[in-house]
Amino acid sequence: MGADIKKLRNRIKSVDSTLHLTTAMGLVASSKIRRAMDAMNKGRQYENAVKNAIAPLLTSLECQKSPFMNGNENGKVCLVVIAGDRGLAGGYNANIFRALRDYPNAHIIPIGKRACERFKADVILAENYTFADAVNMAKTICDGFKAGEYSKVGILCTRYVSMLSQEACVKWMLPLVASQEKSSSDVIYEPDEITILNAAINEYVAGMLVSAVRESFASEVAARRCAMDSAGKNAQEMIDNLQLEYNRARQGAITQEITEIVAGSGM
Amino acid sequence: MKTYKLTVATPNGNVFEDEVVMLTVRGVAGELAVMAGHIPFVTAIKPSDCKIELENGDERFGHVEGGLLTVSNESVTLLAGSFCWVDK
Repeated sequence: MGADIKKLRNRIKSVDSTLHLTTAMGLVASSKIRRAMDAMNKGRQYENAVKNAIAPLLTSLECQKSPFMNGNENGKVCLVVIAGDRGLAGGYNANIFRALRDYPNAHIIPIGKRACERFKADVILAENYTFADAVNMAKTICDGFKAGEYSKVGILCTRYVSMLSQEACVKWMLPLVASQEKSSSDVIYEPDEITILNAAINEYVAGMLVSAVRESFASEVAARRCAMDSAGKNAQEMIDNLQLEYNRARQGAITQEITEIVAGSGM
Repeated sequence: MKTYKLTVATPNGNVFEDEVVMLTVRGVAGELAVMAGHIPFVTAIKPSDCKIELENGDERFGHVEGGLLTVSNESVTLLAGSFCWVDK
């Protein structure tokens, strides 16, 4: 009986320290959420601005001939995979890698420590990803696409739906797709459409990259908070159950001792 | 003076969003200024200094690291990878 009590006490202690850990991680995630959401909204704003600027260009006949509007059919699929920097974020990283199974032959460009380690590339942290990093990456991608290495280029990232739900999805960037709407033809392009498209394509890809990385990071933080919340709840429930068992065992031991003393006194 | 709405959009949010009288930047084909009532126009911007003339007559100076200038009937958007104020 005595050994049982000791075992229970140790278990309670270990679950308690897990509880402390999950609470701390949950708090860190909560404090990061606001900043991450703010950055995400700004990134989205920029992405939309770039898309709006490029959309009328794409309907022009001259741009239809651009290599950026027609991928090489025989090329590979290129995917920028954005995963988290750390684990303990529920299904966040797992969902990304599961979605990746649909593209077994894709050329992968990883962002985020988990993805970089998986694909044995230099580590690029998702948390500190800057626009300058995105511009460099966009340049490599655009050059590759122009050279006909890729049939299409996309970003595998996590879409932030709400605090409680995020989903992995692929956003296709290249080739560019013209919208069905007729553009107003009275816009003047200086010097001409194709030059502007070539100048803007880097900004477009970089804008989409930054926006996707920020959205994924916000998703990661939100996913971690949720996971830590439920882990904390489970730990508390476990402690309650163990405490009950511990008290029962302790009471049992005392009762037994009293019974023994009473029996021994020969009354 | 007639004014128009200018938005300077960067990846870190819109750094400027207000009514202005004139914007001066350097496009790929040379220096240009945009005033109210400009026809719809799109050009690429070279890394350069730019000048924004505000409604109250004040002038603000900034440095733009390349980008795209879109002039539509309603508004003008300066898309910049990075933009910083160099107010004197």
